[in-house]
Amino acid sequence: MTGLVRRLGLSLLGPVLAVLVALVISAVVIALIGEDPVEAFRVMVDLGDSPSQQVQSIVVVLNRAVPLFLAGLAVAVAFRMGLFNIGVEGQYRMATILAAAVGAAVALPGPLHVLLIVVVAMVVGAVWAGIVGVLKVTRGVSEVISSIMLNFIALGLASFLLTGPLRGSAPGASIVTTSEIPESGRVPSLNGLLTALGLAAPRSGLYGFLVVAVVVGVVVAVLLQRTRFGFDLRATGLSPSAATVSGVDARGMVVKTMLISGGIAGLIGLPDLLGSQYDYGTEFTAGLGFLGIAVALLGRSSPVGIALAGLLFAFLDRAALPLQFADIPSSVVTIIQGTIVLAVVIANEVARRLALRSAERAGASAGPDPGAGGDDGAPPPTGPDGGQRVRTGVPGTPEDVQA
Amino acid sequence: MASADSPAAGHGTAPDDAPLAVELRGITKRFPGVVANKDIELRVRRGEVHAVVGENGAGKSTLMKTLYGEHRPDEGQILVDGREVSFRSPADAIAAGIGMVHQHFMLADNFTVLENIVLGSEPTRAGRLDLAEARRRITDISDRYSLGLRPDALVEDLGVGDRQRVEIAKVLYRDARTLILDEPTAVLVPQEVDELFANLAELKREGLTVIFISHKLDEVRRVADSITVIRRGTTVGTADPRTTTVRQLAELMVGAELPSPEVRTSTVRETPVLQMVGVTLTDGGQRPVVDEVTLTVREGEVVGIAGVEGNGQAELVDAIMGLRPLAAGSVLLGGEDVTGWSTRARREGGVGFIPEDRHRQGMLLDAPLWENRILGHQTRPPAVRGPFIDRRAARADTARIMREYDVRAPGPDTLAVALSGGNQQKLIVGREMSAAPRLLVAAHPTRGVDVGAQAVIWELLKDARAEGLGIVLVSADLDELIGLSDTLHVMLRGRLVATLDPRRVTPEELGGYMTGARTTAGAA
Repeated sequence: MTGLVRRLGLSLLGPVLAVLVALVISAVVIALIGEDPVEAFRVMVDLGDSPSQQVQSIVVVLNRAVPLFLAGLAVAVAFRMGLFNIGVEGQYRMATILAAAVGAAVALPGPLHVLLIVVVAMVVGAVWAGIVGVLKVTRGVSEVISSIMLNFIALGLASFLLTGPLRGSAPGASIVTTSEIPESGRVPSLNGLLTALGLAAPRSGLYGFLVVAVVVGVVVAVLLQRTRFGFDLRATGLSPSAATVSGVDARGMVVKTMLISGGIAGLIGLPDLLGSQYDYGTEFTAGLGFLGIAVALLGRSSPVGIALAGLLFAFLDRAALPLQFADIPSSVVTIIQGTIVLAVVIANEVARRLALRSAERAGASAGPDPGAGGDDGAPPPTGPDGGQRVRTGVPGTPEDVQA
Repeated sequence: MASADSPAAGHGTAPDDAPLAVELRGITKRFPGVVANKDIELRVRRGEVHAVVGENGAGKSTLMKTLYGEHRPDEGQILVDGREVSFRSPADAIAAGIGMVHQHFMLADNFTVLENIVLGSEPTRAGRLDLAEARRRITDISDRYSLGLRPDALVEDLGVGDRQRVEIAKVLYRDARTLILDEPTAVLVPQEVDELFANLAELKREGLTVIFISHKLDEVRRVADSITVIRRGTTVGTADPRTTTVRQLAELMVGAELPSPEVRTSTVRETPVLQMVGVTLTDGGQRPVVDEVTLTVREGEVVGIAGVEGNGQAELVDAIMGLRPLAAGSVLLGGEDVTGWSTRARREGGVGFIPEDRHRQGMLLDAPLWENRILGHQTRPPAVRGPFIDRRAARADTARIMREYDVRAPGPDTLAVALSGGNQQKLIVGREMSAAPRLLVAAHPTRGVDVGAQAVIWELLKDARAEGLGIVLVSADLDELIGLSDTLHVMLRGRLVATLDPRRVTPEELGGYMTGARTTAGAA
């Protein structure tokens, strides 16, 4: 039990440390621009005076957290097998505009209509990410490069589609959008649930997609932790060479993982699309794919961690408006988020080394078994090379799994 | 037996009373739990090619790292040109005129030859890179030692031999008077070896000293002026290559005090579990690394593959496991052609695998032991149920393996990295045995494990063999090979060059076959 507590403590140590460091740095920055850091933080945590204001604030945070959580999951699934899916941004933009167009073009009974939109979004996201996977296993193209490039293509393509074939707004309108999705394709809000719980009804609706996000989170958690497929995926991430020897088909895994990652990425735009916007336009929420990378890092690629990280980022985003009301630049939020990402990368590594060292100590005290004898007199293999292994090994290319 | 501790007289290159270029006195180097070098004595005259020979794991590399300042000896003295020195880093060794050419080249592929050579000690003029001066010096070195360097060629366009000459030039550029070459011929084809030896002759003619690490005895005899033999971490003698035969060298290297192989009843049955027919693998290019290998493993038979490392054993193992595509030939498992099968299908078909490099291939170091129990067995019970991982069963079975195979660790949730090498290996052996394989591929199963674990693993292999398991045993440990094998093949340059009866062969003979000093037209 104490071991469990310690491991839990160690896994929380990195993110908590990162957030604290980020807060300190942000406080210094706020002080440097001549504002009062304490006042700024007070404004940020102040959710409002009346109960209905507070509920409204929480709903805003949750509504922002849902897409962030999905974006974090999409990135994390690839992370867990050592793939960097930087292309989540492009994947969800493509998915959202096509799903919006399909959703507006058909008329189906309620649940089916929503289901169709969701499926279209997931398929488009998966295909867009699948290109990256196929390029990697057939041509050896680094997924980082190809997914970044595909982001540009996706954004350009989305703009073309929006202003051309898929435009639904009146010509000359200042905001170009697709046609609006009819009532049957929208996801109802969960406000009824809130009032049933005795809370004040908020002004904006709590996204019904929250339920979908929770389900996706649970499915991903089970997939990663409890299934054979997830084991293969994680094993490839931990050691591509060991996974190959164990019989994992590294190339197939790259493609499958990118398809899953892209499929989840396809969902990112849907909470906004089906919960409040009902069309895709020039003003549609941007940047979720990149924030997703930060959220996945902060959440250490575990679904629960990503949920917490998504909530934290959403909480910070919400504070932008109140900060402006208090005459403090809202970019304070961006600074905090940026420093969190920087700090978390460092803190995760520090925490990992601490965990490793504590594991080694635990092992050393357990077995009175001196690893004597060695190849060319090398020191016993338990010690020194544990910390040196590169975690970012890119699986999938046959060269590096055989070398 | 070669002349132990009697330095051969009469070298034309240097008078005997000149100070030695390098002298090591009583060097001892310990690592936690193991003595890698013990009382090493090495005397290298100026202007000679001095070979240091020994088996894999004899401690040659550790010794050279000591001489190159990569670590400090626990005891003993290092003398360069008669003066005692103390190296804190390779930079100190370079300053003292000692340079090292590593076995694995350390060159930047996308740099030119010139850039690679000056990298790290760039000549500058007024703070700017002085390429003209660098080019002048490199051309000078190239001409003086007949290295034939083209300073502006990109390293990625160069062949292995050229790359090695760049490495040598790198060392010469830093004004080294003594060059350490670590297994320089391991990566070369015969013609390139000839070229290298010509270069070494040039170096020697210019008065430079070369320390040549190798275990290829025929080459050593061709190039060396004197030889020091290392066995089990200590120097066992010196020899004059002109008066010593390869056979005598091999005996000195392997040692004659090895225990005689135990006599035992054969458990070999008739049914073959593994047949390899004309298996050929190439190294990506044209050169075959495994060349037309044909062998059969029967039930209850241990087939040992002996050979100096790097002669195709690792690739042969890859071929059995389906980790590399074959260029030609076929692999049959229990009579069924599995040439096109994936690694997973072969494992499911009853092939157990103890990989050579347990950290890279055998374990997930950052994962708990119970997850390591699943590794390689992701599709089979008890740890897996349908598409799901059965965590409870995996933990329970891990606990059983830990009990039955004496894996010392706090519990199934311990991270694999926390275990000693011996315990990690016992877990791997237990894991592979638990799946009741038909064939076990064991690559260096006791490498880097302590003596206790080694005995346990040997017993396990013997018991499994008695129950009808076919085993392919690749090892560099001659005792292990002779003691466990029913049939012994020797692999040299990708070919099976000899098939021996382990009950009759001596370690010295085996060593002779491994290094190519002995040949046979099929001795069994």
